[in-house]
Amino acid sequence: MESKNKFYFAITGVALVVIFWIWYASTNPVNEQALVTFLSVEELLDDGYSDRVRLGGLVEDGSIQLDKNNYMTCQFELKEGDYLLPVQYTGIRPDLFKDGAEIIIEGVFTNGVFEADILQTKCASKYEGDLRDANSYNLEEVSI
Amino acid sequence: MIPVIGGLALNLAFGLSIVTIILLSFHLRTGDNRLYFSGQRAALAVSLLSFFATFVLAQLLMVSNFDVDYVAHYTSRETPTIYKITALWAGQSGSLLFWLFILSIYAVIAILQNQRSQQKLMPWVIIVITTVQLFFLILVNFVTNPFIPTEADFVVVNGLGLNPLLQNATMAIHPPMLYLGFVGFTIPFAFSIAAMAKKEMNALWMKTVRVWLLFVWLMLSIGIILGGWWAYQELGWGGYWAWDPVENASFMPWLTGTALMHSIIIQEKKNMLKFWNMILIIITFTLCIFGTFLTRSGIMSSVHSFTASSLGPIFLGFVFFILIVSFTLLFYRKTFLRSEKRIESFTSRESGFLFNNVVFVVMCFAVFWGTLFPVISEAVRGTKITVGAPFFNQINIPIGLVLLLLTGVGPLLVWRRTSRQSAVRNFMIPVSVGLMTALILFIFNMRGYVLISFTLSSFVLTTILIEFAKGIRSRMRSQHENVLVAFWRLMRKNRSRYGGYIVHVGIVLMFVGFTGHAFNSEKEFGLKVGEKEHLDNYQFELLRLSEEERPNHYAYIADLKLKDSDGKTITILHPEKRIYFHRSPDPNRRQPHSELDIYTLLNKDIYSIFNAIDTEKGVAYFKIMINPLVNWVWIGGYIFIFGTLIALFPSKKESVV
Repeated sequence: MESKNKFYFAITGVALVVIFWIWYASTNPVNEQALVTFLSVEELLDDGYSDRVRLGGLVEDGSIQLDKNNYMTCQFELKEGDYLLPVQYTGIRPDLFKDGAEIIIEGVFTNGVFEADILQTKCASKYEGDLRDANSYNLEEVSI
Repeated sequence: MIPVIGGLALNLAFGLSIVTIILLSFHLRTGDNRLYFSGQRAALAVSLLSFFATFVLAQLLMVSNFDVDYVAHYTSRETPTIYKITALWAGQSGSLLFWLFILSIYAVIAILQNQRSQQKLMPWVIIVITTVQLFFLILVNFVTNPFIPTEADFVVVNGLGLNPLLQNATMAIHPPMLYLGFVGFTIPFAFSIAAMAKKEMNALWMKTVRVWLLFVWLMLSIGIILGGWWAYQELGWGGYWAWDPVENASFMPWLTGTALMHSIIIQEKKNMLKFWNMILIIITFTLCIFGTFLTRSGIMSSVHSFTASSLGPIFLGFVFFILIVSFTLLFYRKTFLRSEKRIESFTSRESGFLFNNVVFVVMCFAVFWGTLFPVISEAVRGTKITVGAPFFNQINIPIGLVLLLLTGVGPLLVWRRTSRQSAVRNFMIPVSVGLMTALILFIFNMRGYVLISFTLSSFVLTTILIEFAKGIRSRMRSQHENVLVAFWRLMRKNRSRYGGYIVHVGIVLMFVGFTGHAFNSEKEFGLKVGEKEHLDNYQFELLRLSEEERPNHYAYIADLKLKDSDGKTITILHPEKRIYFHRSPDPNRRQPHSELDIYTLLNKDIYSIFNAIDTEKGVAYFKIMINPLVNWVWIGGYIFIFGTLIALFPSKKESVV
């Protein structure tokens, strides 16, 4: 009987240690990339966060400009709702990054420009395009 | 016409699945065998209709019938035939139908294989399987039907095509493998519910459940490893695991499933932990459904998930339904599941298994917590906190290392109780080897997790080697066999044990590969033809930039000469920047794709990505990564799979019976 109790204690002990560990890690992130606040562009512009944040939105059509001197760097505008945010990003651009792409970026907002160091695109399993939008097909109109 | 037939098959299957459940419920109430046989036949018909519907969709994809919305969405005329078929699981409704398809294969096998031997349990087994089928039938019939016609007032001449990222052989088999694992847990779950409902849990039940578990666990493992391999080879960020919600969704049932693979041994050998194993089976199956939910609901902003969210509440409802029904049943059967025996000592192998289980389950909880943290934080504090890979690594590295330690300690413990003498005898050599390794690594300036991980790896490998050596030596003595024969027969005599050890070797090698991540280095740079860059004693020189038009894309190809520190040429890397659909008049439809080139050595990979090209100035931009030891992840993976196959392979002795 005692041995059984000891086991319960030991197992509860192990579980408690790990739960404490998880709680500790959740409140003391190992680095600034571990836990990042996700904001809307509106919140960012209103409150002027200076911490590292994560944003989501669409790439504004026609806004992507590669740096003339270094194609690793690009500027574009992130659009979310009615808000536009100028972004600068240096690094590998995912293949699906283009006008209208749904993206997630992470970085710091300074002097009116969001400097991103992480840029991810949503990996769609198909080409985005609305089936109701005739332009997305190679179509031959059928005269009725 | 044909799409209508597909839809009709799904309608019929839906109706028949309800009939099956009703018939079998009446059989259970009345004991009338005719009701059982009708029910069984109805269940088989549900599966056959599901096959049929899947084949119809596959056929529609093959012939590019763009009258069907799904076909038009995920394929085009130019899509290679093989990828027309893989488009079956490229989209939401197709992948749910595919879930149903695999479940139906399993259902037919489970029914035909066990209809005689498990007569008592079968009504319940079939009810559970059919209920799960019914759930997916509801989804493909009423929520997201793959046979919906294209909504356009013009004739669709060509479809949208499949993402080139998905046009890859590994990607073609990765989802089916994961599905084979995910879906497969339905069968052991069904047998467990049946066993509890009927209070019948004999040796045959044990064997059936164990073999199913091993098989589906293997499929899940292969699926996860392939997913990592694909990410590494194709996605071009140099990593194989990102702690993405969808990856976590497959990892969580794997963790509880692995716990189960261990604790089921105790049940088999000692008839203990029955209650606990039931909990693990229920949780693992629930996590599989939950995983499908995470992938398909769009609740997490993951790179994988589809955005439609009407599925969310239905899936969540089903998850709660499973949990409530299973745990209620479990509660009523707690006396039936009580073990007569108790674990006798802390230093027994049983207790080693038990601690292993606890650690696996808390690790699963840690992953669960991290995955849902954004949702939880938003609900509790109003701000959404996203969780990055560093968080998961921070939490899971120490837990993983504890597991690695237990991998070594477990086999050294004796059943029931390990005496002091045998403890000293068993631990002496492995611990010494581990300490020696630690000392050497310390001298070579390694610290922290790297030091611990390599030390534990050497410790565990030594324990496994000793286990093999002991077994072989005793056979050589008692049977007068030579080393190889002794090794071969040893494995054959006790496949689950030695297969398990081989799985452990694979895991240790994978840990070695994971640890190599700590030494990764990378650099991004632009080069003109003739220019050079350096990284870690390697020199990269851009020899040539060429262009080529190929059948379905346009490629820029870089010839990147790689030299080592002695100035010796190692190889020429050819990373490419491709543009798919380059002829499309709409620039937005053109799809860039970076084709990596990786130079692989046993101790490191040199990984090159062609990021961008400035055609005016003739500058090509690259990212180069040097990833030490990464190959050991894949080598470990192969060994892991091999070990599981050994444990799974039917033994002669059993097949005679």
